[in-house]
Amino acid sequence: MPWPCQGIDFMAQKTNPKSRVHDLLGAVLGLFAAIVMATSPWQVDTSGPYPFYKGALIFPLMALGLMVMGSVPSFIRLLRPGATDSWHLDGGGLPRRPAVVLSMAVAFIIGIPMIGLEISCILFTASMLYYLGHRSPKIYVFWPLLLSGVFYLVFKYFLDVYFPTPLLLEYLGG
Amino acid sequence: MIEYMSQALVTTFTCSNITALVLGTLIGIVVGILPGLGPMVGMVVLLPFTFALPPAVALSLLLGVFCGGYFGGAVPAILMRTPGVPSSLVTSFDGFPLTQKGEAQTALSAALVGSLGGGIISVFILIFLAPALAHVAASFGPPEYFAAGLLGVVLVVMAYREKLAKGLILLGLGLWISTVGIDGPTLVPRFCFGTLAMQNGLHLVPVCLGLFGIGQTLMLVERKILVNARMSLTRRTLDFSKIAATLKYWKSLILSGVIGTFVGLLPGTGSILASFLSYETVKKVSGRAEAFGKGAPEGCLASEAGNNAVPAGAMIPLLTLGIPGDALSAVLLGVFTINGIYPGPLLLIKEPVLINTLYLSMLLINIVAFVILAIWLRPFAMVVRVSNTLLASIIMSLSLVGIYAVNTRLFDAGVALVMGTLGYILLRLEWPVVNLVMGVVLGEILEERLRESLSMSEGNPLIFLERPISLFLFVATFLIIVIPVLWDSRKARIRARNKGRDFS
Repeated sequence: MPWPCQGIDFMAQKTNPKSRVHDLLGAVLGLFAAIVMATSPWQVDTSGPYPFYKGALIFPLMALGLMVMGSVPSFIRLLRPGATDSWHLDGGGLPRRPAVVLSMAVAFIIGIPMIGLEISCILFTASMLYYLGHRSPKIYVFWPLLLSGVFYLVFKYFLDVYFPTPLLLEYLGG
Repeated sequence: MIEYMSQALVTTFTCSNITALVLGTLIGIVVGILPGLGPMVGMVVLLPFTFALPPAVALSLLLGVFCGGYFGGAVPAILMRTPGVPSSLVTSFDGFPLTQKGEAQTALSAALVGSLGGGIISVFILIFLAPALAHVAASFGPPEYFAAGLLGVVLVVMAYREKLAKGLILLGLGLWISTVGIDGPTLVPRFCFGTLAMQNGLHLVPVCLGLFGIGQTLMLVERKILVNARMSLTRRTLDFSKIAATLKYWKSLILSGVIGTFVGLLPGTGSILASFLSYETVKKVSGRAEAFGKGAPEGCLASEAGNNAVPAGAMIPLLTLGIPGDALSAVLLGVFTINGIYPGPLLLIKEPVLINTLYLSMLLINIVAFVILAIWLRPFAMVVRVSNTLLASIIMSLSLVGIYAVNTRLFDAGVALVMGTLGYILLRLEWPVVNLVMGVVLGEILEERLRESLSMSEGNPLIFLERPISLFLFVATFLIIVIPVLWDSRKARIRARNKGRDFS
């Protein structure tokens, strides 16, 4: 059924359900499951007194088996592509914006123990807003400051959540 | 019973519960109105905050988001033909034509009355049906629980049977994720890859928040949701004379509420089916089928009553069997188990005050959501003008700090980012992410019951076929797998035959 919405700019085209990207993802997940399955005797200690049916490995093997079973069609299609099969997914191109935002999020997480929650939050939100196209200082200065203040109040003041002392502060303080 | 109900009344009307309930409903309405977000994002973002709250308050907060989301979804569907939640798509069939005719107030009144009515009817069905189902489930042993859990999982997988292989991969991945960490019965570390942090397992909160919160935010960053500047409402509030006018469709309201509840009761069916089924049934029964699709208020009412009855319907298998029907109720199951409460037939006996508080809170949430939207309709409708990139920044930072706050472990935030990346890929490729969540939530229950059952039979898997209820559930599971496959192959044969005829 077509999506009868106005006001939404979805990808250039609808997602192609037969794109080889689906097969690639299916095969990658299947391969991961097969590797984990093959190495499971080393990943899980089964030397205890429990018989296999009571042990720690029966259920994970069933789960991994499901993954491998589900990925078989993907493997076959990936190795033997049809004449009309293509890699075209939705015309949206490479996900550059999500990749950059994700990198910023990783930096935010690393920044919490390094420079502290407040500064890390201000830097992350400001840079994300600027990157996503907000050029007005009212937005990329006001909102990060507000969020940082709210986080301080909610997490540190009310919920009393422990945040590590920033390494930078320790370094500066000697 | 009366004693429990009076205690529940007191608990429901405590300041903390009412605050949580109103706050949850407000957030639910906002995320419901905003296309591209939805109640799931609201619930998972709030999940870390529920740890500091008593179970009843935490559940009221999340149920507020759950139900409020469905209320809010109708507003942009009617005013802009842009459903806030997928199930409100059906509401737009008649809602938007009414808006074009200048009768937006009629459509909104019908939709909100439908939501309120559907919600209340479904809560009453829940109150009467849950004890009956719990009575049956009281005779369940581990094999029956395993069979019931398997049935739930199979229903969800078969709901996406056109994506069966993808669904199986994701279900397997979810089940496997649930096994990571120290195994309870044997105390053996599993799949920790030599790291200490993995021994605590991959918690439900970072997994769900990553998949839905961060994954959906990355989608929001990529797919621009434009603001519709043409959207306008002349009145600040709902027109109360229109509300009275919609009450003449009370038969359709009851019918849709009942349909929605029973659709919600079945795992894997979801609110979209509830909306469609209610809409189509009312269209046939009303005798005014020709008016539907061109601006019939009854259509808006039926669709909204159907989808708003789903949350209470989904609570029936969750409370009585401990089996969630969809990703939203899977998150609620997570809240129960995190608080040391295990849904099942004994829950109604062990926690009668909590259960009655839950019923009352659900009733109140529906009333609160209706009142909020009726009074502040225009301010809430204007929420769609908020920049989606600003929202993405807020959700992303709130999610990451929230995850850290749960266990004060940066490792959890890392897990959420990995899951967010996976969630983004799966959402962009339109894979059934719900299977992954169901796997994570049900994995522990299924594994425990499987191992208990096999221990009872000393490793003989035939135990599942030797007990009548378990046998019945297994046969039902088998039929649910086989019938659609046979049906599809029959349809394919007929199509091939017709194609052959066309060529000849």
